[in-house]
Amino acid sequence: MMLPAIILLPLLAGLVAWLAGRWSATAPRWIALAGTAVPLALTATFWGRPAEGRWIAAFGFDWIPAAGISFFLALDGLSLLLVLLTFFLGVLAVGVAWRQTDHRPGFFFFNLLWILSGTAGVFLALDLFLFFFFWELMVLPMYFVIGIWGHEHRTRAAIKFFLFTQAGGFILLLAILGLHFSHAAETGLHTFLYEDLLGGALPAGTAWWLMLGFFFAFAVKLPAFPFHTWLPDAHTEAPTAGSLILAGILLKTGGYGLLRFVVPLFPEAAAAFAPVALVLGAVGILYGAKLAFAQSDLKRLVAYTSVSHMGFVVVGVFAWNTWALQGVVVTMICHGLSTGALFILAGSLQERLHTRDLGRMGGFQVLAPRMTAFALFFAMASLGLPGLGNFVGEFLILLGGFQISIPVTVAAALGLVGATVYSLWIIQRAFHGTPAKGATLADVNFREAAILGALVLGLLGLGLYPRPVLDAAEPAVRWLEADAARPVPVVLAVEPPPHPPLP
Amino acid sequence: MTPSATALLLLLLPLGGALLTALFLRRRGEAAAWLSVGVAGVLLLLGLGLIFSGERFDRSVEWLRFGEFSLSLGFLFDDLAALMLFVVVFVGFWIHLFSLGYMKGDPHKARFFGGLSLFMFAMIGMTLADDLIMLFIFWELVGLSSYLLINFYFHKPAAVAASKKAFIVNRIGDFGFLLGIIWAYWAFGSINLNEIAVIIGEKPETIATGIALLLFCGAVGKSGQIPLHVWLPDAMEGPTPVSALIHAATMVAAGIYLLCRVSVVMTTEAATVILWIGVATAVYAGFCAIAQRDIKKILAYSTISQLGFMVAAFGLGTRLALADGGSITLGMVTAGAAAAMFHLTTHAFFKALLFLGAGSIIHACHHEQDIFKMGGLARSTPLTFITFTIGVLALIGMPFLAGFFSKDAILYLAWQVSPVAFYLLVLGALLTAFYMSRLWAVAFFGAPRSDGAKHAHENGPVMVVPLIVLALFSIVAGYDALYPEAFAAVMAAIPHPSGADKTLIVGVSVAVLVVGVLSALLFYRPGAAEDALERKARPVHRFLAARLWFDDVYNWYVAKVQQRLALVLSYLELVFISGLLVRGLAGFSGLLGLGLRSLHTGNLNAYLYWILIGLVLLWGLTIGLASGS
Repeated sequence: MMLPAIILLPLLAGLVAWLAGRWSATAPRWIALAGTAVPLALTATFWGRPAEGRWIAAFGFDWIPAAGISFFLALDGLSLLLVLLTFFLGVLAVGVAWRQTDHRPGFFFFNLLWILSGTAGVFLALDLFLFFFFWELMVLPMYFVIGIWGHEHRTRAAIKFFLFTQAGGFILLLAILGLHFSHAAETGLHTFLYEDLLGGALPAGTAWWLMLGFFFAFAVKLPAFPFHTWLPDAHTEAPTAGSLILAGILLKTGGYGLLRFVVPLFPEAAAAFAPVALVLGAVGILYGAKLAFAQSDLKRLVAYTSVSHMGFVVVGVFAWNTWALQGVVVTMICHGLSTGALFILAGSLQERLHTRDLGRMGGFQVLAPRMTAFALFFAMASLGLPGLGNFVGEFLILLGGFQISIPVTVAAALGLVGATVYSLWIIQRAFHGTPAKGATLADVNFREAAILGALVLGLLGLGLYPRPVLDAAEPAVRWLEADAARPVPVVLAVEPPPHPPLP
Repeated sequence: MTPSATALLLLLLPLGGALLTALFLRRRGEAAAWLSVGVAGVLLLLGLGLIFSGERFDRSVEWLRFGEFSLSLGFLFDDLAALMLFVVVFVGFWIHLFSLGYMKGDPHKARFFGGLSLFMFAMIGMTLADDLIMLFIFWELVGLSSYLLINFYFHKPAAVAASKKAFIVNRIGDFGFLLGIIWAYWAFGSINLNEIAVIIGEKPETIATGIALLLFCGAVGKSGQIPLHVWLPDAMEGPTPVSALIHAATMVAAGIYLLCRVSVVMTTEAATVILWIGVATAVYAGFCAIAQRDIKKILAYSTISQLGFMVAAFGLGTRLALADGGSITLGMVTAGAAAAMFHLTTHAFFKALLFLGAGSIIHACHHEQDIFKMGGLARSTPLTFITFTIGVLALIGMPFLAGFFSKDAILYLAWQVSPVAFYLLVLGALLTAFYMSRLWAVAFFGAPRSDGAKHAHENGPVMVVPLIVLALFSIVAGYDALYPEAFAAVMAAIPHPSGADKTLIVGVSVAVLVVGVLSALLFYRPGAAEDALERKARPVHRFLAARLWFDDVYNWYVAKVQQRLALVLSYLELVFISGLLVRGLAGFSGLLGLGLRSLHTGNLNAYLYWILIGLVLLWGLTIGLASGS
């Protein structure tokens, strides 16, 4: 019963927060804090528990038996890590929004909690119909968050966000239904259950189109180049807590989808598609870095760095070996922490300066040394400095990618140089130099320092000792690999299979 | 305490110092300074204890593992590491001490000393690393501390730009380094240096060449070799003790250390490339130094040139070791590695001395850095003058001083391997004698030519004692017999010419020295107020001052190609992808929505209702479809 509780608690807390918001401005915060902290604690109880078979925990009942739809939730190492990330960032997001949201706080926290609930559902649902339900559940509250509490061009950004993700969602729905019916046609079994659908012998042509459908939906969410244009707008206009959730968690559902569904459900089609996807990933890494450099709006800049980092996820997923997959898991978590932190910093700057324009910043190291130290730390994480988590993830992806395609790996590694350029650019523009005459800037306060400090510890921990996370993910990665057991695609492969490492 | 515990302590002490400073001492500059100097002192004692204990070990712990893949981090402490560690803790300590005086009165002292401690942590970690990934981790952290210290004066745009340039250029080198590590993993199944050494013999030569050259990319970046040398002169924007410690004595020499560490993967082809890049850098930077006026820039180009000598030495010696079917085995220190490390060591002493001397002068002259605006310093700062002179003599290869012996070892290697390289390196030595004599004669003699120089006076003992100690070492460090047993593996492998070769090498280097010094003294005249070369041969001066236009080409490339590309892409993104695609999608959904136009009320709630209705319809459709089948 733990798994449905993890999803239901924030859902209920959201409703209560909304109601409480009618009478009190402060009550919704505390309710939201409880609504994120309790599921975080519940999820954490699964840590270190061994899996029985594939799942550490599972929960299910028939939902709409006539249609083969069941309510099936299950948790493995991969879901565990991502759900933990969801609620960890969820707690921080509540903290970020603590004082930033004066307008209709009840409804704000309702939306925040429903997004978290939907995301947790996405990571836990292993019935595809249920998965789609949660997938849609995330979108609408996010639309409200951007559209109501966003900045100047919030309506446009919200609509763009909605259109893109709904286009993705629509295609995903078609692909899920297509999979369901063609699987039924092949086997006579009407099911949406993930495990039943695995290993289904679909006709190659059908599998190809269905795989593309899934890929499109997840690539939009991730976002992978060239489906990324909704992201900079959404990020720029979203309130800080929204950006944090968007960058930290929502994007990860795309990566999760690629890992969990695209390759395991359609191994052959995905293998055939891998060269294209690898190139898209590498292009995304370089393109995102390049575009980041051309931005003067700090939040927009950080948004493009997300595109770049998510390119690594695409490369890692389609390289599909143990190194790359472990790297994808670490990268997704670390990107959530580091980019989330950069959005928090951008948000605090905007709150204080009422601008996001880098051209109007400068010399903040004099005014706000602690904020500078945090910014420097997260900039270093973002450029992949060894010792911080992002490096571990990117290194493993490059290591795995090298076995599959050297040119793609070289291009991806070049992205690390690009990351250096944009990360240092932020520091140079905003924090170095001399402040404008009479400029003032309050340094980070205790609440902000606590939030950022938690993220610092997370990145340091993952960078210095990533083993617990890798260990937690390992069985799940093994299962995924077994599902998609397929030869290394030879199209781009240059190297022979690996030399067995020494004992 | 076990040796590996000592090594761990060596690593954690400076880290602890840096953390303590960052967290608690940011506003207590004096305390931070003493903490940092104290840590450096303890590091010196512990380091010497470890080096002379005679313990040599290789110990690692597993860092991450999944399946059969695992990475370990650990210490490899052999004579090579011992020598490097000696240079780092010894030179490091004296520079810390000097900084106490140099940074006196700076309100941001705490940040400076915290940065120095962070640097010591990273540098010691790199020195002790036993595999490529650990080497890389600390290699990058060294780069971070260098970045933080170059932009110590972050209100100066030049310092900020220089720090960014240094970081980015180093990252370009590290891009190759990282790919080299990854390739090594796939080729050898390990990135542990000892394990690679075992497997390497079975692998085709081309793979080893590729890996060796990729790893060399890292060294090109960090050690300022052509074409990635451009960051090092700019890095002189940092405080002068930083230039002495990081950008002269230790960090920039890390590339040489890296090469020596990965000797086993070297092949003849790779060594040839390395050799010629080193030679080219040695000569090129020598020419650049002639046209500089800023004392620190002259020393910076001199550093680049000397690093070129070391890289060339490594390439030459490796060629020699691999000639006639020879091979490099595990733990072997080739003549090339030994000569390179020997020169690295002597260079660390005299170049740190020269930079500290320059710092002392700059401090005495109230931040005047142009040698043509100095003058008369021989009289006003006598101790600095004497020690600086010793440094100059050691650098230009005065017989019986340190640089003489280490440079001769390199020239001897070149003589054995390639006459062309030999003559070019001799030219490099000639240039060294020339530009250093110029600097020396112009800065110290004649009448003071600026207010700063007029009021120059000798600094206090905190700054002078390090100069004296380093001067002593610049005198004696060339006698390899004086080195204790602890460095035997390196010292024994240093090539020494004998017989006719010896006469030739010594003769040539003395001749070069005399010609270089005399021509510079005659041409520039001690105490000159303006650059004779600029006056008499303007085109030559201008050519040399342009430094082969490396910076101009790079600046052009960044500004005109990369930045424009970014702007064009950004514009295209706005117009095409966002504009067309989104409008297209919007149009499509408009059609779907049937008369959405009439619903364009601009009211968010209205949109939301429609979206909700749409969702409900979609769901109804889905469930209908699903249950209907």
